[in-house]
Amino acid sequence: MTRIFLNGREIEVAADTTVLRAALDNGVYVPYFCWHPRLSVAGNCRICMVEVEGKGLDIACNMPVSEGMKVLTDSDEVRAARKAMMQFLTLNHPVDCGICDKAGECTLQDYHFAYNGAPSISAEPKVRATKFHDLGDRILIDNERCIVCSRCVRFTHEVSRSKALGIQGRGDTSLVRCEEGRRFDDPYSDNVIDLCPVGALLSRSFLYKARVWFLEATPSVCPGCARGCAIRIWHLRADRRLQRLDPRRNLEIARVTPLDDPAVNGPWICNKGRDLAAIFERPRADQAMLRGRPVPLAEAISEARRLVDGAKRRTALVSSWGSDGELAAFRDHLAARFDVRVKPDHVPQPGEIVEDDILIRADKNPNTRGARALFGERPVAFEPGTDLVLVWGEGFDYSRVPAGAKVVLLGSYLAPENGAADVFLPISVQTERDGSYTNSDGIARRFEACFPPGETIAHAADLFAAIGGRP
Amino acid sequence: MMDLGRRKSYWNRPTLGLWERSYLPEVLRGLAVTGGVIARNLARWLTFRKGALTARYPEERRADYAAGNRGKHVLTTRPDGRPQCIACMLCATACPARVIEIEAAFDPADAAHPKHPARFEIDYSRCVFCGLCVEACPEDAIRMPQDVPDLPSHDRGEMWLSRDHLLGWCPRSDAAKPYPPGPAGGGEGGSL
Ligand code: SF4
Ligand code: SF4
Ligand code: SF4
Ligand code: SF4
Ligand code: FES
Repeated sequence: MTRIFLNGREIEVAADTTVLRAALDNGVYVPYFCWHPRLSVAGNCRICMVEVEGKGLDIACNMPVSEGMKVLTDSDEVRAARKAMMQFLTLNHPVDCGICDKAGECTLQDYHFAYNGAPSISAEPKVRATKFHDLGDRILIDNERCIVCSRCVRFTHEVSRSKALGIQGRGDTSLVRCEEGRRFDDPYSDNVIDLCPVGALLSRSFLYKARVWFLEATPSVCPGCARGCAIRIWHLRADRRLQRLDPRRNLEIARVTPLDDPAVNGPWICNKGRDLAAIFERPRADQAMLRGRPVPLAEAISEARRLVDGAKRRTALVSSWGSDGELAAFRDHLAARFDVRVKPDHVPQPGEIVEDDILIRADKNPNTRGARALFGERPVAFEPGTDLVLVWGEGFDYSRVPAGAKVVLLGSYLAPENGAADVFLPISVQTERDGSYTNSDGIARRFEACFPPGETIAHAADLFAAIGGRP
Repeated sequence: MMDLGRRKSYWNRPTLGLWERSYLPEVLRGLAVTGGVIARNLARWLTFRKGALTARYPEERRADYAAGNRGKHVLTTRPDGRPQCIACMLCATACPARVIEIEAAFDPADAAHPKHPARFEIDYSRCVFCGLCVEACPEDAIRMPQDVPDLPSHDRGEMWLSRDHLLGWCPRSDAAKPYPPGPAGGGEGGSL
């Protein structure tokens, strides 16, 4: 341990830490742009300047602590240096905040108000650079907004290791660009959008979709693979619901960002997690049916109950997208009368990365581990004489249903087999309920509901109680 | 720390003098004011002139709105006729009644104005005509000219006015911006 004096307060810090980390860990905020806790130190933005008594100003992010050093983070010299640095960083900045998707969560904007606040003192015209330069299929870059902090470059070199990005040129003509002849095709590319302290890197799917202060974030778990990354699902705030514009936007996922969970994913997620809207916003099945005939939900439930009670040999294929609570409800109400098998709802799609050594896992279901803990690991198969199959979720090949067996299907999305099932019951999806998933490492994490389910849609846990509970 | 021992002093201390506090003379003075107005209006009515009669809005409009009157919004245009608005949504953010809904669109072809409002809707059944949207706008893209809003309707749904309507109507009182010329020409058209 090393003893340092932070603004006159004596603190003990680890000997191998930096002044910036020591200050942040001890509740003293020192501003930073280029430093990031999970990336190497670049030391190029110079906003983290602090004063060491007797030694003058230097950057805190690259300053090792030493015994007895006296650090001032808010002296007059430091404030003046920060202000000068902010003037410099905004010298050629277009101040596009009105049309910048980062506005509201932009570090440059926040620091301008906190540490500068003065208009530019430069009389020179601003240097122009490319706007909306096409980096790849997912990301545009506005080079005028870029402060060349190199976080995005370091991310592709140190975390995703695609080495896709670099900086060309020097001084005020520096440009963040893809490696020559290459598109920004990194499977983790969208993390640089969050990482960018300004609004230079723009998501094509979120471009001009909403001002961020109209959105709220619900903590959730990405169901894209068995890693179960902690995420935030952003959607319109309840008090910002649209009345005149397309009301479907009120129930849409505006964007997905990572939620820092050191035990699971750290501050990153892969691009599949960004595209959850493509999974959850497929056309939904919201009508209960008996062999394709629409019926009220209550009638479908009593028919399902009659079929289950009347069958002799029953098999259930439970969903590996069910939450721990739903799986437990199935165990409590129905499992005793069924031969239960855990079914993979999703398998890797053509072109999808199956597995890598960063985050992506081969099992494309969020709760296989939780389901297997309750119902074992036996593969999907049918014992001879099976006369009722209960299918929960997707990913089952209906040609495998034993001849003559009745099918009770619980599903969320429109599919041809819904109409062929003897009973079809529409169920909610993850964004419409609370629950938890147990990831492949056995770590359980909770997710919360973002939207209310439709009136004709039931939660699977309630259906299990209604079908299997005592009359 | 707040000093709890001392009483707060308010800015509106009682300022009535002896004359006001003697009550009756002031009451009589008030009655004289209202009585005078009644007498004047009655005299005008008896001589077939128009007194303080209520205008039969919307068939009848007053010509003399107060200089600071805030009427139905105008969206201003750039010289090429496209909206000045950059869809920054600060007006929608500032609006206390939450009645402005904007859908932004991206136009890569227009380098100076890549973001513009594809839709811009205001619900006049809930607008409180506070003018905060006008104050919030960094682009002078929305104004509330003095003219009366032409709004009555039997249906709440019809009280949502959209982008093209707000861009296109030509108030008499605000000729500062070249609005698209109204039916009578020269930007001096009717209120709709
Ligand atoms: S990057 Fe930040 S400061 Fe720059 S235009 Fe965007 S919001 Fe404003
Ligand atoms: S694009 Fe953003 S993250 Fe990358 S160097 Fe520029 S400011 Fe930094
Ligand atoms: S005048 Fe007030 S209430 Fe009406 S739209 Fe503007 S901000 Fe909203
Ligand atoms: S009217 Fe003004 S404040 Fe409202 S979105 Fe347009 S530019 Fe922004
Ligand atoms: S944060 Fe220290 S120089 Fe950028």
